[in-house]
Amino acid sequence: MIDDPVLSFSAPARQTLGARLTSPAVEPVPAELLRLGTGLGLSALYGLALGARVGGAALLAHAGLATAGLALVGVLGLPPLFVLLALVNAPVSPQALFSAGARAVASTGFVLAGLAPSAALLAVTIESPDAAAFVTRAGLTLAGFIGLYQLVISVRASLSHAPFGTRAKCTAFLGAFCIFAFILAARVWSVLPILKGAA
Amino acid sequence: MTEFDRIEPAASEIFAVLDELLRSPKSVAERARAAGDLRPLFLAALGALLVGAGIFGATLATSRGGAQLLYSGVKLPLALLASLLLVVPAFHAISAGLGRPLGFSGMIGLMLAAAGRGALVLIALSPVIWLCFDRGLGYHPGVLLASLCYALAGLAALEVVLRGIGFDLRGLVIVSVFGLVVFATGGQTAWMMRPFLGRPSAQHVPFLRHRESSFVDALAQSARSSVGIYSTERALERASGPRAPLNEEDRDESR
Repeated sequence: MIDDPVLSFSAPARQTLGARLTSPAVEPVPAELLRLGTGLGLSALYGLALGARVGGAALLAHAGLATAGLALVGVLGLPPLFVLLALVNAPVSPQALFSAGARAVASTGFVLAGLAPSAALLAVTIESPDAAAFVTRAGLTLAGFIGLYQLVISVRASLSHAPFGTRAKCTAFLGAFCIFAFILAARVWSVLPILKGAA
Repeated sequence: MTEFDRIEPAASEIFAVLDELLRSPKSVAERARAAGDLRPLFLAALGALLVGAGIFGATLATSRGGAQLLYSGVKLPLALLASLLLVVPAFHAISAGLGRPLGFSGMIGLMLAAAGRGALVLIALSPVIWLCFDRGLGYHPGVLLASLCYALAGLAALEVVLRGIGFDLRGLVIVSVFGLVVFATGGQTAWMMRPFLGRPSAQHVPFLRHRESSFVDALAQSARSSVGIYSTERALERASGPRAPLNEEDRDESR
């Protein structure tokens, strides 16, 4: 039976890579660029794992496309989101949004990298192309949701003192952004050979 | 100082950790998270995992006997260990992504402790399994009984993980998402290492079966079968090798 009180959670004294990548702290631009680059690099590991199903040039194709999906969501989604938030006078600075975006990309990349060993096993050993595509989609969806979760909580934290109307509008914009990001990432990732039945 | 004097304290420490694994998952989880000297925990949990899964694997094979006893006794610990190695990075990343970053060594300690606790539960269930097979339990009920044992062991392991990650809503979400990864990865690893029970009618006992379908495909097929949709064409192909597709009338009948 589980009857003891809940453990209190405290971050470890020395920050791990995961803690640094997902930290809510807004760092200077070079540090955020490093976080962004690390996240994009880590997402390539998942692509490499998927590419192992076919091998050869498919390794690079999958790695590049996995990273491209993530990068495009950041490039095409975050500037319009900032414009919309600024139009409703939301207290979110460009640097804070950039930091939130970097955190989201880094979180997604970190989760994709964590899933890479499992993805490699499944991609290589699963016989049916449909099942391999299903597993691939599941991994990308899970990582994408965690990235969007990180973005949403970062932006919402900045809105804690904003008026109710502003917060409501920002929440609507964030919801729209999540839908846009999901569709765009799905569009880019749909050209992954493993999702097109590569065996 | 004799060899025995050196070994004895280490052995008692390992037995103490095993006792703690069973009695106090909370303190084991705290120890893993503190990431101090984790060697006794690593050794005890790894030992429990190898021995426990080995005993349970061999017990499952008593329905077939012979070489299957050795094969299953070796393959089940290997399957568990391989799954563990593959899913630890995912656990680390998911918990960090959902706001509960832990150190990597603490994470490995937590996972090993959980797996070790589960394996100790499997040891406890082994005599029951053996008795059931000895009393004539069939192959398919045997598979179901083994699945039930895995579920019970998984619940015991889950308590350690939940204690380590935090027993609240966020912890439950993290463990649930991670559970899906473990289910897919562990399922596929075990699928690749079949058979564990071995069919009593089989004349030859293979160490591994030929590559055939996958865990995800098998689940999908079972789900279709459970609602009355059977893949007759595929079953015929397996039984007699590749053949021409069924004509439309046969397809209708097969549905």
